Amino acid sequence: MLLPLLALFALPLCLAASTEANHAKLVQLAAANDGVIRLDQSTYRLLTSPRRNWSASVQFTAMDKRRRCTPCREFGPSFNAVAKAWSKVSSAERDSHFFATLDFDDAMPVFQEMNLQSAPVVQVYTATEGPRQSASGRTAISLDFSQGFEAAPLAEQLSHYTPVPIPYKPPFDWSRAATFVFMALAFVAALRFMAPILRSRWTWAVIVVLTSLVMTSGYMFVRIRGMPHSGPNGQWIAPGYQNMFGQEVQVVSMIYGTLAGGFLMLTLIVPNNLSPQRQRMQVYLWAGVIFIMYSVLVSLFREKNRNYPFKLLF
Amino acid sequence: MPFAYQLPSDVSPATVANTSSLLRIIALALISGAAIASRLFAVINFESIIHEFDPWFNYRATKVIAEKGFYEFWNWFDPTAWYPLGRVVGGTIYPGLMATSGVIYSLLHAINLPVDIRNICVLLAPGFSALTAWSTYMFTKELKDESAGLLAAVFIGIVPGYISRSVAGSYDNEAIAIFLLMFTFFCWIKALKIGSAFYGSLAALFYFYMVAAWGGYAFITNMIPLHAFALILMGRFSSRLYVAYSSWYAIGTLSSMQVPFVGFQPVRTSEHMAALGVFGLLQIIAFAELVRTHVSSKQFQSLLYASVVGMGITGALAIIGLTYKGWIAPWTGRFYSLWDTGYAKKYIPIIASVSEHQPTAWPSFFMDLQLLIFLFPAGVIMCFRQLRDEHVFVIIYAVVASYFAGVMVRLMLTLTPVVCVTAAVAFSSLLDTYIDPAEPDVLEDDSNTGQDAPTSGTSTAVSTSSPAPSLKKAKKAAAAAPPAGPLDGLVSTVTAAVSSSKKAGKPRGVFGLDTRIAVLINALGMLFFFVMHCTYVTSTAYSSPSVVLASTNPDGSQHIIDDFREAYYWLRQNTPETAVVMSWWDYGYQIAGMADRPTLVDNNTWNNTHIATVGKAMSSSEEVAYPILRKHDVDYVLIIFGGLLGYSGDDINKFLWMVRIAQGVWPDEIQEPNYFTPKGEYRVDEAASSTMKNSLMYKMSYYRFAELFGGNQAVDRVRGQQMPKVGPTLDYLDEAFTSENWIVRIYQVKKDDPLGRDLKTANAFAQGKKRKRSKPQVRRKAVS
Amino acid sequence: MLSLWPLLAALVSLSISSYAKSSTGDSVLVVLDPSLQRDNFSIFFKGLEANGYDLTFRAPKDVQPAVIQDDHAEFSHVILFAPEAKSPCYSQDITPQSLVTLLEKGTNLLVALSTKQTPLTSLAAEFSLILPPAGTPLVSHFPERDTPSTVVPVNVSVNPVVPSSLPPVWFSGTPFAFGNNPLLVPILNASPESFAADSDRDSGADAVYDAAEKGGEGFWAGSSLGLVAGFQTLGGARATWVGGIELFSDEYAEKTIGGIKSGNEPFAADVASWTFQESNVLRIESVAHHRVNETLPRETYTINDHVTFSAQVSKYNPETSAWEPYSGISDLQLEFTMLDPHIRTSLIPVPGEPGKYSVTFRVPDRHGVFKFVLDYKRKGWNFLESTTVVPVVPPRHDEYPRFLSPAWPYYAGAISTSIGFLVFSALWLTGDNQEQKKSKSAKSE
Repeated sequence: MLLPLLALFALPLCLAASTEANHAKLVQLAAANDGVIRLDQSTYRLLTSPRRNWSASVQFTAMDKRRRCTPCREFGPSFNAVAKAWSKVSSAERDSHFFATLDFDDAMPVFQEMNLQSAPVVQVYTATEGPRQSASGRTAISLDFSQGFEAAPLAEQLSHYTPVPIPYKPPFDWSRAATFVFMALAFVAALRFMAPILRSRWTWAVIVVLTSLVMTSGYMFVRIRGMPHSGPNGQWIAPGYQNMFGQEVQVVSMIYGTLAGGFLMLTLIVPNNLSPQRQRMQVYLWAGVIFIMYSVLVSLFREKNRNYPFKLLF
Repeated sequence: MPFAYQLPSDVSPATVANTSSLLRIIALALISGAAIASRLFAVINFESIIHEFDPWFNYRATKVIAEKGFYEFWNWFDPTAWYPLGRVVGGTIYPGLMATSGVIYSLLHAINLPVDIRNICVLLAPGFSALTAWSTYMFTKELKDESAGLLAAVFIGIVPGYISRSVAGSYDNEAIAIFLLMFTFFCWIKALKIGSAFYGSLAALFYFYMVAAWGGYAFITNMIPLHAFALILMGRFSSRLYVAYSSWYAIGTLSSMQVPFVGFQPVRTSEHMAALGVFGLLQIIAFAELVRTHVSSKQFQSLLYASVVGMGITGALAIIGLTYKGWIAPWTGRFYSLWDTGYAKKYIPIIASVSEHQPTAWPSFFMDLQLLIFLFPAGVIMCFRQLRDEHVFVIIYAVVASYFAGVMVRLMLTLTPVVCVTAAVAFSSLLDTYIDPAEPDVLEDDSNTGQDAPTSGTSTAVSTSSPAPSLKKAKKAAAAAPPAGPLDGLVSTVTAAVSSSKKAGKPRGVFGLDTRIAVLINALGMLFFFVMHCTYVTSTAYSSPSVVLASTNPDGSQHIIDDFREAYYWLRQNTPETAVVMSWWDYGYQIAGMADRPTLVDNNTWNNTHIATVGKAMSSSEEVAYPILRKHDVDYVLIIFGGLLGYSGDDINKFLWMVRIAQGVWPDEIQEPNYFTPKGEYRVDEAASSTMKNSLMYKMSYYRFAELFGGNQAVDRVRGQQMPKVGPTLDYLDEAFTSENWIVRIYQVKKDDPLGRDLKTANAFAQGKKRKRSKPQVRRKAVS
Repeated sequence: MLSLWPLLAALVSLSISSYAKSSTGDSVLVVLDPSLQRDNFSIFFKGLEANGYDLTFRAPKDVQPAVIQDDHAEFSHVILFAPEAKSPCYSQDITPQSLVTLLEKGTNLLVALSTKQTPLTSLAAEFSLILPPAGTPLVSHFPERDTPSTVVPVNVSVNPVVPSSLPPVWFSGTPFAFGNNPLLVPILNASPESFAADSDRDSGADAVYDAAEKGGEGFWAGSSLGLVAGFQTLGGARATWVGGIELFSDEYAEKTIGGIKSGNEPFAADVASWTFQESNVLRIESVAHHRVNETLPRETYTINDHVTFSAQVSKYNPETSAWEPYSGISDLQLEFTMLDPHIRTSLIPVPGEPGKYSVTFRVPDRHGVFKFVLDYKRKGWNFLESTTVVPVVPPRHDEYPRFLSPAWPYYAGAISTSIGFLVFSALWLTGDNQEQKKSKSAKSE
């Protein structure tokens, strides 16, 4: 591992050295491993020295397995991707903004003095001297991950602080393209071979009914809010009226389906049965099913909405 | 023929027809009565008052119409809104609602009924809900028959999903929009059925009314073309479709462009391109059909089809190209957020911040639609069994609307009508089956079903002949049968319709009386439960005018919390008319309506930057905020604080949205993370971050809050957190007014210090604090 | 005997000319320290009374007459001649805070300081006057003279407060440096070779010199020091700070400098007349705005209107104690602002109409709530401020041009359609069934 050594050499040097020397050092470090300086305490000091005509975005993270920081490992690659994109720009701009990562295990004291309880954190250190001195006078700005850990929003956010916007292009998503092409082919094939099926109204009926069932049982809510399939300790009914788990979608749509099925049975199928006894039996059966499922549904609703006054069976 | 129970046999068909129509009229009248009555809970529980937020603006605008007339309203520039930018009201609203109540107002006054404009506004929504019930009846009648229509009318009349937007006092565009929606659709399918240009134009006229009334008109604009397109794909192109669509589109588009707010959008924005494209496609196909009728050479036809397809594709490409060129505006954000659900939160936080734009959880579906929600799929299946053109429409409507309703709570409103219709279809066919006294092995029905099975059965294929005759025929047959009971007519129709599937011709029916009774009791019980549910939900959930809050005393009696009006009237009576009030945009319309004072931002969120400015002022420290306030001539700052009463919809809970919106414009001055504790929690107590504690909003909310508890531990009852003993201090604002339950707090912005000091030091001096003595600054170095 | 006539004439002319009052009232409260006799300042006080002020005297300790009675300022001017009184010697109603309240209520203040540490010292800080440490009077050794080095002759430079050039004045007391407060009006500055030393016998002069060597001339030394300074509050009241009370004394008034009589008496009179708002007092009588070739103001203006704005300014004339139209302002400016000034133009005096300033400009092409802002702040003059709010609206629906040449396609479309309809109906009425199908599709196209 060469970097710590290098840093050790750097340390006494850069204490004495002027800004230019620091800058040269940093450029060298950055060049050493494509664009991302792996900091330790001393190089951190060097990078964030109060008199600097460069800016830097530093990622505070804890990559080590023992730290069990899944978001860190989730975020690391996209940070590196952005840094890599940055190393593409012409050297003049590139060397005035650095990307660096500081791992918890390399520099605990830094974390303590900045009292960071959580990782990952991205801090932008704006230039304190020279033409790119920050107008608002803020020297350290911490980014927020409100838009997730993807690289694109990160690049967009960081571009506010770099001399030129970061030329980040999201890598081409082959899987999506492949699926799309496949779907298209499948559709064409379907047109070819399954024309009768597509022509049949009942395929469409199934599709339509399933869609509306799923939608009306709150699928989009789960999707948009990214709700878990079921809660901790195995409860599957989310407490609260405006809240639900993924599993509720299945259960509720099941109930709806059964009830609708019951009605259809009574209306369409049963009358075609021409033996009085069997038909009578079916009628009572389905009526019972409807009644029971309905009361189940109501009691389920009472679970969600406590002060709902009505109940059927349960 | 065997009967489960006997029917009076000595009734002439004419009598039957008359009685049934009379009954229908009475039923409709009662339904309207029920629809109106069930919306009056709000007036009874509280008073005849305008609800919520937007209605207050509509009410204000309506007053302008009523007093100054339509032209003044059209040219109305409101200098008190969005101060100092002002708002060109005439050109930025849908005037339909105000115009409607303006017309009603002048009518009533013309016949010397001096009704207060406010009461008209309050009662407009219930009145139109009756009309909605009627139009739904008409619509469903086209789908199935009168009995289904009546059921649908009942459903839409009392279903909470629609009541939630149309209780007395919620004077909003949706109040009349749903009626227009249903009636336009009715005219559309009617026009499509009988291929009449008259109904097409009627649809266009009501479409125009809809455009003038509600931004949701885009739903129709895309729904009808979608339907037409689906029909074309199903090979159901017909001259009826052509006539109906062309007349609707031509007249509808031209008239919709007369609304100032819409202007040239119908030809310039993507939302309207579908309609235009389908229109073009129809012309092409019609031309092709025309040529085909005249030319009879095979290869020429194939070439013709090729050319048709080619032209269609080129048209589509042209539209896309224009979009890229910028001649056609791309989808607006509000629209786009329906498809890409993450879009709004990322790019337009103002839209995402509105509570009614949140996705819908299943309980609210059940709350709003109860049993209809599971009758809905059954009804859709029913529509599939007899797949006439109008059924296709309902099916498409069902899919689209259920998706939208899932994405946005607000769009539950567009789902409700179709749910009512389909549910009515399903339910009435159940009733038909089990009320029908005829038991199986009857033969007349088979014969005439046998006859019309082919027509309606093969209606999937290209059939230009309408299936209406089959129904008529069935009716005729039923009426002709000598001992036919009053229900018999219906019955045979139904059986005719129902049996129009693969297994047509087989005798079908229900045996015995007990089965009928069992099923019917079950069904009626469910209906009864539905009514109970609707009444309960309406009275408890949907009838409170969020301007006046109600709580129940320990003894169960109702206690009215009237802080909002208290505060607004204080402003009205104690401040100069030109005093500018700053508040978060939710309360802009109410302040303008009730306090009649200029506001910085209000509920039509047309200027993101201006709102972000307010957000910045609220979320930054006093020193930073003060120049902003002075620059905008703000005299008073109004905030909503629920901490004392436990009113959860207060500004501290909305605060993060203010921060986000401000951050969108000033990313390096306002940053959301600074308002959280290092652990990432949103706290207001001791542990709150310093940025949070210094923010103007925090200071104004908790100023002198701790004193209220007289030395005891102060507790914020919304956040459920213990507040610090010593509250924040204010240097640049003075507390001007705090309402009874502290829900509304109003602060006055101090003027500059006469001695030109900054107000912080001025305060320090006034409180007798010593200031450290300063040295004169060095002017020039001595020459040495 | 003969020689008396001119003097008599002079006296008569004086008594005639000098009947004047302040623009804000003529009741003056003089808070005079018992340690100083009134006779020592007789010339000054007489001068005031001659100018028509009625003076009420009271010692700092006294309670009556109160300065502020039930929240209303009793006097329009207060002279505070108690430089050495410590805080206990003041009654409750004269505290630094209450003095500031007085200013907010529009009362003018004339305050004399001394080298002692008193409540006034802390008050001076609020006016961003920076006093030297207690007991460091102004010292100067030039020019050579027989008086002690703390009694300094100072040359008076002409400034808005002192219109005419006066002979040097005698001064002794504490100097002060100015903070950067734009409301301050320097009236009398120290001579370049003077400085503040920490004792009467300038033993510490060397120390001061060294300090000045090190720290530069930022110290209490040199011509940047103020001895008399006015302060124009935003509220319109005026306060004047005088470093030493002897400036007003009869002794200094009679004292001569190099043979000629000192300027103390006229200087004191000038200072008083400025402080009591006799001189340099302007006010805006009225503002008016209307569209070009109209006369009455509009509720609202339409974008791109041509609007004339005019203001009537008048100046207080202490001679006649009346407001007279004043056209002397050359740099009056008008701003037409919404958030930011959209238009900033100079209001020029209208020739022939005294006191009237007017300008005509085109309203910007931007609707919104605009303000005519008149804001005139000059040192030594009181401030002129006026804002008039007027909404600027877009044109009405019928104010747009009727026929546009770019709209010809639409006109053509409309005309052709109607002609087409006529033709079609003619064909349809005359045609037979064969025509019908074709024309049907032709109709809706």
